[in-house]
Amino acid sequence: MRRVFLLGAAVAVALFDVMPLFLVLKQAFTPERESLAWPPAWLPGRVTLANFRSAAAVVDLLPALGRSAGVAAFTVVVTLALAVPAALATRRSARADRALDGVLVLVRVLPSIALAVPLAVLFVHAGLYNHPAGLGLVAAHALVTLPLGYLVARGGIRAVPRDVEDAARLDGASAARVLRHVTLPLARPALGAAALLVFLVSWDEFAYALLLQVTNRPLPPLLYYFTAFGHPGLASAVAALMLVPALVIVLVLEPSLRGGVLSGSAR
Amino acid sequence: MTRPGLAALPLAAWLLVFLAWPAVYAVRLAFTDPAGGAFPSLEPFRALAGDPLFWRAFANNALLPPLVVALEVVGGLALALLLAGRLPARRWLRTAVLVPFALPEVVFLAIARHLLAPRGYLNGVLAGFGVEPTPWLAPGHATAFAAVVLVDAWHTTPIVFLMLLSALAALPREVEQAARLDGAGDVRRFAYVTLPLLAPTLAAAILLRGLDALRIFATPLVLTGVEGVPVLSSYAYHQWSDQGSDGAAAAAGVVLAVLCVLAAIPLLARRSPA
Repeated sequence: MRRVFLLGAAVAVALFDVMPLFLVLKQAFTPERESLAWPPAWLPGRVTLANFRSAAAVVDLLPALGRSAGVAAFTVVVTLALAVPAALATRRSARADRALDGVLVLVRVLPSIALAVPLAVLFVHAGLYNHPAGLGLVAAHALVTLPLGYLVARGGIRAVPRDVEDAARLDGASAARVLRHVTLPLARPALGAAALLVFLVSWDEFAYALLLQVTNRPLPPLLYYFTAFGHPGLASAVAALMLVPALVIVLVLEPSLRGGVLSGSAR
Repeated sequence: MTRPGLAALPLAAWLLVFLAWPAVYAVRLAFTDPAGGAFPSLEPFRALAGDPLFWRAFANNALLPPLVVALEVVGGLALALLLAGRLPARRWLRTAVLVPFALPEVVFLAIARHLLAPRGYLNGVLAGFGVEPTPWLAPGHATAFAAVVLVDAWHTTPIVFLMLLSALAALPREVEQAARLDGAGDVRRFAYVTLPLLAPTLAAAILLRGLDALRIFATPLVLTGVEGVPVLSSYAYHQWSDQGSDGAAAAAGVVLAVLCVLAAIPLLARRSPA
């Protein structure tokens, strides 16, 4: 009896939590009229791609999609290019490790808006404000993702057993060879997880995207404007595009999320 | 590489350019008279102090974090306890309750806004019971503030759930079994065994989630616009984007940044060499 009650409660919460996902998809693939109907319909009537066509007709939907993907991919490259060498360096220096830790906690604590406003003003002078490819946004996103990227990369690199590296060195391998053929391959799962997480954070990021890309927008501000101007159908079409990589990455990473990557990285 | 520490230099340089420089520049903007360009000047802060919208943003920014964190910690704890047990299909249930956080924030908020719209799903359900439609998110409606709290807590509860679920899984089973053998009931076992063992994780969750709630931006902005339920972040965005006032925007950002750093002192202190 008690178990039936608990299971019922769990199923009710689960259904409630899945509802937003269901409604996004329903609104994306039914005519916008259905999303504005009264009383609101919970089940899809006619299935159509009209919202995607209308959204592409009013705004630069495909360029926005490309910009979002490009910014996220480039943010992954920049973040890992900075974080991996740093993680290799701080492995040998406890002092540098603590110093970097402190700075990255500060990065994580500062509100986006406090940095986005001065960055926007500075980027105007540097030609990075509203950059067509979102180069300025990449710089800002790398700032957001560095604490996460660094901690996950550091965890992976520290987990490489010293003995294995020492064995390679005794066999006469140079430091560069040890790095390329032993350390990095062994840390690859963690670096892969870091790359996916960084991609996801950049893909979802809203505040910097809103302030730094005023007309050359990626997807999140586009979705915001469609929502604010009362277009649930078009907004849901943009949302559906955003969902694809987001959900794929979350599903791939789910085991490690449960293992505490999130809580660990957020320490 | 003669010195291994050199490999950390690109990261340090990056932080200098994209963290230190804008931070210093923000302070400069915040203390510059927008009229004459004189520095230092308290003019931007005087402008804030004379703006009723700023004070509404400040009050909301003080009230929202404790309410959001209380809700998500209680909700996350309840969910973790519920789904840690031996329920059928619990793998599916655990995945399902992560959905609100797995959705990109703006996607979740866009659908929440439509859920609460005058012709939205909630009013549709209520109409079935003969209740008149309510403009839940309308500016000046007390329900708009409550909606921001509830929607933000709904979105972030899965993070607390994940933290507590892994903490629960790591608890030593022997302690709980000993209490059970001693005849302690469910409530007593929870209050005297489980809860004290979870205390460190709960404290970490409250601190981290509190810091995030302090920086709240997208939830009030997407649900209610700038003037519905203003917070410091959306106020700074409004000053910069709609009023074209870099100084006031930077000043509001500095106020929020100082609050965040103050709130993070326990976190920063824990990291210092001990």
